[in-house]
Amino acid sequence: MTGTEFMIIRENADIKIIDVKTDLSSYAASDLRKVLEGLLSEKVDKVVVNFSEVNHINSTAVGTLVGIAKRLRQNDGDLKLCNLASTLTRTFNLIGASSVVEIYESEKSAIAAF
Amino acid sequence: MEKTYIELKVPSDVYYIEPVRAFIGKLSETLKFPKKRIADIQLTLDEICSNAVYHGSKCVTCGIQLRISVDSHALEIVVQDKGGKGPHDWLTPGKLAEIQSKRSPTGERGHGLYLIECLSDVHKLQANAIGGTDVTAIFYRDGQTEKG
Repeated sequence: MTGTEFMIIRENADIKIIDVKTDLSSYAASDLRKVLEGLLSEKVDKVVVNFSEVNHINSTAVGTLVGIAKRLRQNDGDLKLCNLASTLTRTFNLIGASSVVEIYESEKSAIAAF
Repeated sequence: MEKTYIELKVPSDVYYIEPVRAFIGKLSETLKFPKKRIADIQLTLDEICSNAVYHGSKCVTCGIQLRISVDSHALEIVVQDKGGKGPHDWLTPGKLAEIQSKRSPTGERGHGLYLIECLSDVHKLQANAIGGTDVTAIFYRDGQTEKG
């Protein structure tokens, strides 16, 4: 496992899974961006972000995920999200980002979707 | 209930938004807002403070000021900044309309003001006397206005 104090990176075959261990306000959003950009620079193209331990996300973090998803798709990869609390899904829906980033109920279904 | 005020001054650094968000969450819980509404209040505060730090502050020590007032009808949050580095024109109605019209779900930025508008019962933006912006968000306590 690699990552940072609040972002643990695991592997499942060719898919990288990030366990986010903190709420995502602007400060933690910059950490998330660094971790995701690190994976991009390593040529990783399939990423799942697991939100099971996250209770809050702001628009900066949502924007980061949208941007990374678009960049991964340029390389025929993708970013998928899973285990979002209803308040988080609502934020994605309000912004309209759920039409851009795929959200799954479980990690298993997110992985199976690749 | 008589109107009461709480004032906080925090450095213009996103690092300090998290403890402020935790504080407003606890206060909203004490005021018996529903759980879902507490999440709305916390997100609104996060977005306002993030904007104040990123766009309304020249330096970390400039700081942003929060004035939170409570009465039997509402929780009101006012976040005051001192103005950013660039020409401070993002406040004007024309500029605001431009930001809103350019907002795209596929965009990485520009969603903060939209969320503030969606989640609060009332929101206001006003130029202040110290060259910055006062952003106000009001949440009614009557339980009749839960959004979404």
